This record gives sequence, C-alpha cells and structure tokens, in this order.
Amino acid sequence: MRWFIPYGNPTYFIWLALAIIPLMIGLLYGRRFRGYQTIISLFFLILTFGGPNWKTGIALIGYFIYQIILVAGYSHYRQKKGSANQGWIFVMTVILAIVPLVIVKVTPAIEGGRQSIIGFLGISYITFKVVQTIMETRDGIIKEFHPILFGQFLLFFPTISSGPIDRYRRFETDYKKVPERAEYLDLIQTGVRYVFQGFVYKFIVAYYFGTVLMPGIERHALMAHGFSWNIIAYMYVYSMDLFFDFAGYSLFAVGISYLMGIKTPVNFNQPFKSKNIKDFWNRWHMTLSFWFRDYIFMRLVFFFMKHKVFKSRVTTANVCYVINMLIMGFWHGETWFYITYGLFHGCALVINDTWLRFKKKHQDVIPHNKLTELFAIFLTFNVVCFSFLIFSGFLNTLFFGPNKF
Amino acid sequence: MSLKKRLFMIFGPILTAAVLMLVVFLSPLWSRLSYVSPKVQRNAASSLSPLVLKGQLIKQRALENNYVPFFGSSEWSRFDPFHPAVLAAKYHRSYRPFLLGARGSQSLTNFFVMQSVSPQLKNKKAVVFVSPQWFTPMGEDPNAFTFYYSPLQTTTWLKQETGSKMDRYAAYRLLQMPSGDSDKIIAAALARIAAGLKPTKFQRNYINVRNRILANEDQIYSRYRIPLNNVKTIGKNMKKLPRHYHYRQLDELASQIGKQQTSSNDFEINNRFWNRRLKRHVKDLKNFQVGQSYVKSPEYGDFELLLNQFADDHTNVLFIIPPVNQKWQEYTGLSAAMLKQFDQKIKYQLRSQGFNHIDDLSKDGNVPYFMSDTIHPGWRGWLKMDQAINPFLTKKVSRPHYQIDKRFYSKRWQQYDY
Repeated sequence: MRWFIPYGNPTYFIWLALAIIPLMIGLLYGRRFRGYQTIISLFFLILTFGGPNWKTGIALIGYFIYQIILVAGYSHYRQKKGSANQGWIFVMTVILAIVPLVIVKVTPAIEGGRQSIIGFLGISYITFKVVQTIMETRDGIIKEFHPILFGQFLLFFPTISSGPIDRYRRFETDYKKVPERAEYLDLIQTGVRYVFQGFVYKFIVAYYFGTVLMPGIERHALMAHGFSWNIIAYMYVYSMDLFFDFAGYSLFAVGISYLMGIKTPVNFNQPFKSKNIKDFWNRWHMTLSFWFRDYIFMRLVFFFMKHKVFKSRVTTANVCYVINMLIMGFWHGETWFYITYGLFHGCALVINDTWLRFKKKHQDVIPHNKLTELFAIFLTFNVVCFSFLIFSGFLNTLFFGPNKF
Repeated sequence: MSLKKRLFMIFGPILTAAVLMLVVFLSPLWSRLSYVSPKVQRNAASSLSPLVLKGQLIKQRALENNYVPFFGSSEWSRFDPFHPAVLAAKYHRSYRPFLLGARGSQSLTNFFVMQSVSPQLKNKKAVVFVSPQWFTPMGEDPNAFTFYYSPLQTTTWLKQETGSKMDRYAAYRLLQMPSGDSDKIIAAALARIAAGLKPTKFQRNYINVRNRILANEDQIYSRYRIPLNNVKTIGKNMKKLPRHYHYRQLDELASQIGKQQTSSNDFEINNRFWNRRLKRHVKDLKNFQVGQSYVKSPEYGDFELLLNQFADDHTNVLFIIPPVNQKWQEYTGLSAAMLKQFDQKIKYQLRSQGFNHIDDLSKDGNVPYFMSDTIHPGWRGWLKMDQAINPFLTKKVSRPHYQIDKRFYSKRWQQYDY
C-alpha cells in the first residue's frame, strides 16, 4: 500500500480511473451508485489520510464528527417551528465552527513552526463549507438538515484537499439527481478535457517553472544578499508556478467531479487577463474569493449599513475591502507576509475603486481604447505578481532567514 | 450520435495517445539513434551533472572515443589551471578525462555508474580517486545515494547479473537504501538475488521492459540539458598555462597562483572557500574531528564492488589516494595515525588483489599549495597527480592480473582495525 497526496502522481490517476469507471457506467444508464461512491470516497480518503498520515486521519474524523454535531445542533435550533433565531447563538455557532481552524493556523506561529495535532490536509476548505452551511441555515435558505448528505458534501473526495469550495445547495441538487445522458456526455467530455489540461498545467508548465527554473534563481537571489534582478525573476517564476500548479490541481478536481456527475464550480478563469484588481479576484481562486465576497464582504457591508457606522457608502465599501482581504491574509497563515499580502490587496481594491469612480466622472478626458486596456492588463499583472512575491515568503527568507554559508 | 460513437470521440484520443506512447517507449528502434556529437561529449565530460552520471548513452559514446573515466566525488569540481581536465586539453594529450562523480557519490554510486559503461570498460583504462572521507562509520549516506540513483543503471545491472558474490552483495546493499525499495517488483528481485536465488520469470520480464523504457528515454532525451559552464571554466584556466609543458616551471606557477589565492587565512585554503564556508565557523570547528575514524566502515565492502567490477572487465585502473590539508587536520584534531591506518588498509585491499597502480599522495598534506581547501587537492596537488596520470594513460601498461578475494566483502574486513 502506498500513500498519496491527491493528484500527486500518475499512480493516483490510475487508481482514480479504475475507481470511477463503474460509477460512470451507472450514470450513463441513469443510475447513481451512491453506496459505491461512498466506498470509493473512503478508499481515496484512506489513500491520503492513512498510513504514515494516520494521525491527520484521526484529526479529520474528530473534526468531522464535531462539525456534524455542531451543524445538526444549529439546524435543529433554527428549523424548529417559531425559532427565535437569536443573533448570539448564530455568532457562537460560527465561532465554534472556526475554532479548530484558528487553532491550526495559530499553532505554528506561537510554537515555532510546529504543526497542530488537530490539523489535516484541507481543513480550511471544509471549514468554509461548514460556515457557509451555518450562514444559509440562519438565513433560512437551507431548510432541512440531512446528516448523510451533509457528510457527503463535506468529504467529497475530489475537492477535499484544496477546493474548489462548493455550496451545499448546489451540491445537494447534483448529488440527488442523475444527469440526462446527453448532459452527462457533455460533462464527461468537459471533464476529460479539464483533466488533461490539468496535466499540461501541473506536470509540464508548473514543473518547468517550479522545479526546473525556480531553484537556480532562488539560489542566485539568496547568494546576492540583498536586492538583485534575480528577485524580479523569482517573482515572475513563482507567480507562474503558483498559478499553473494550483489551476492544474483545480482542473483535476473539477474534471473528476464532472465525471462523477457533480458540477463543482471552476476556480480560475484566465486571471492574468484581468484588467483590474477587482476583475482579477473574479477570475483568480474564484470559489474562495466568491466565498469571501458572499459571507464576509457582503455581510460586513450589510452590517455597517444597518448600524449606520459610516456616513458614506464609499467609506463603507473601502473599509470592508480592507477587512475582507485582511481576513483572507490571516486565513493563509499567521506570518507577516501573508497578512501584508492581504493588506496589499485590500488597499489595491480601494485604489482600484477610487480610480474607476474618478475615471467615470472624467470620461470625456480619460481615453479608453485597446492600448489603455493592454496597459491595464500589464499593470494589473505586475501588481498581482508583486503581491505573490510578498505571498511567497521569499522576502522573509531573504531578509530574515538564517545566513547561508 | 450514438453513445458508442460519442464515447469513442471522447476517449479515442486518450487511447491512441496511450498506445502511441507505449509504441514509442518500447520500440527497439531507438537504439539505432545512438550518435552523440563530439561537442555534447565534451560538454558532458566536464559537466559533473547528476543527469550525465545517471545516464548511459553519452558516457558510452564518449568512452568509445578518447575519453577515460575518472571516477570519484566532489574533488572534480575544484577547477584550476592544473586540474586534470585542463592539463589534458591544454597539452593535447591523447586522452580526455570523463569526470564522474560529485558531492556524495561514493563507491556504491560509482559501482552502479560502472554498470552503464561496463562494455566500454573492457580492457580499457580508468582512474579512481579514493576519498578517505567516504569511509565513515556509517558509509554511504542514503540520501546522497538516492540523489544519484539511476533505475536505468540498476536494471542494466540486473539484466546482466549472474548471482556472483558481487551481484549478491550489491543487491544486499541496494536493499539497505531507500532507492532499492522504491520499486516493489525490483525490490523483490533484489531480495531473491541477495538470498542467492534467481529472479522469477515475471521479475525478469518486468526488468527487461523497465530497462527498455528507461534506455529509450535515455536515448531520446539525454543529449539535451547538459550544463556547459565547466567547459568555459576549463577554457579560462587553459589560458593561464604556458604553451609548453615543463614540470618545474608549472610547479612554480602553481605555487604562485596558490599563494595568491590563499591570502585570506593561515590554513592555505583558497579564499573563496574560506570566505564562504569556513570563516564564520572556524572557531566552532576547532577539534571537531577528534575521534573521527575512516578505518571501520561498510564503505570497504562497497569499494570491493568497484574492484570486483574492474576485475571482471579487466580494466587497468590507477588509484589516487589524496592527503588531508595538514594544517586543517591538526586544527580540527583529525588523527594522523588514523589516516595512516586508513592508507595502509586501503592499500592492502588493493595490492593483495593485484591492483598495483596506486598514486599514494597521503603524505603530501603539508606540501605548500598542494590542497585547494580542507580535503580537496588543488594547484600543486593536481600537478603532482598528473605525474602519475599522464604516463599511466599515455604509455603502454602491462596487462593486469587480478585475483578477487571475497573476504573483502565481509563485515570482519569492514570493521577490521588494521
């Protein structure tokens, strides 16, 4: 028995193909073998969380039971006839839901890099799903709680380690039904294309940037002890590696979901073509940024407006941008570079909005044509790459790392 | 569109690609494509790249020409005007060194490297640089071995193995490394060989298929991505040498350059190495080698594998035993008596089996500008070595008569306090 990071090597894909063929045949003939799907889900979870990683497997099981009980409890409270729908109970539930994630994220910062024992691969992504379910239960959009369905949703193995982050109601609809044959054939076609596009992204392009180019550039930049052009080279190479690696991974996750007849939302939409930072966040790690938009940004805006905290709407939006991105920064991890990254993007969004308002006001004098669009893309790309340089933590190694000899 | 047709439209290309890939990588036709340009051979010979070390094709072609394998480890990367590769090129020698080895490549790695060029070693000459530092109590570092591990060389060896003591010992050692366990079927075959059994038919077939795929891969890709910065380094160093070879004159030049380049410290260690690696730590390194021993080590068994393979191939080998920088040795508390013991033990292992070409430099650790840093030869050291290498490779040397003694594989010899 060997143990695998999801989509990490060819053997994993061979297992995957063998396991989902029966499921696909079933779907082609109008059946979803839910029992079989559960069994193969367990098998792939064991491949990732078993063997030498068994401790994280235990952490996953504990976490899973905890969240099921939590959501069940809240649903029970909320779905009672004439539920009081108290704000503090909702807040408490959300806090309880994110406590494990907070512990996992804070532990390395205060314990000198040691990982928390309750952590496991993909804990943040499951937490997002849980919080989203709690919020929609509060809103009354989710009217029923099915522990089994909810469990399938949380542990859906193609997306377990790093998303994309699906939504409960969307997942539920797909999982309950069987797609029409014509529709399913389209899904297979797209799914297969995604998986192969993923191969190109992750195993060829990201490999080239991350494994072939990066180490040499990194070494040269470190040897220079201070600023050198290698840092700029590192910035672009790292950005490319980050995108192709993550986008490749996401394509696998979405492609495999499609083959299983589940339309997991896509995560990337040509982000380097973005014309501004807002546009970028609508194309980059989309399920995460939409999650932040829907469950943090919008709710903050709503909260501030309701309580009339700020007079102007512009200020409200700006404050919310910064808080939103800061939280995203903290979510990445408790290091100065992740938090700076969040702050950087928060400010970038504020500047972007200010500029767009200014531009709208002075439409008659500010030109807008193909050339300015091209410039906008170029500028956005470089701003984004610079933010990734912060994000990479390389500056940390460079400035504060131990002296290499 | 019917279901079948639609599915074929989706999966047809994948199946075709898979079949095509199998055809390409299993095809025996690639072995015809074995031309390697002289330029690639030259670049590879001094590249010290792990890719070259792990490959097969380039080395085979180069050794069929005038390249002679120089087996060793990190010392080859110390280029200066007197480096064997520079001298051979500058003075138009009939041979060119093919440098094999880099940091951490010890006897076991070199044994597997030899497997890829065994036909080219038959009745030829070779040079082996024996680092005393290989012979630590733990022997070969599994991580370093993994770094240079080549499944191609392993399967090539497995195809030829006959169940001799050498094969059994190699299988046994390979199984002690993580690499030996990386392929379960090969690991099972190794276990059988180590136990004195033949691999099963299935294992043999598997090994043949694996070898075919890996050899084709090597045949198709190995010519590319060879770093060539060392070729440039050699060129630059050649320019510093006088046109004609006069030992005295060169020796003086070596002293001169050595003196210039060791101005920063009292150990006669080159400035670059000193400033980058030692300066900051020198206080902590006082007496850090007290108690270090190179006399008892599993490396002696691995070294016997090398000797055994040379004997099988009737290769005429020159062994070079380098000294340790004496000033550094004294400062760090490395025992001189122990080094002498090592020298005698390794020479006994060589001489008693008929390996009589030994260039023993172990007493030259106090010669000025002989060593480039703590353990690697430089300027005058390289030049002194050349006094043995050049005649050995350019003049006629009598046929070797080796008698391999299996007892050198034993734990008893490995741990023997000579």
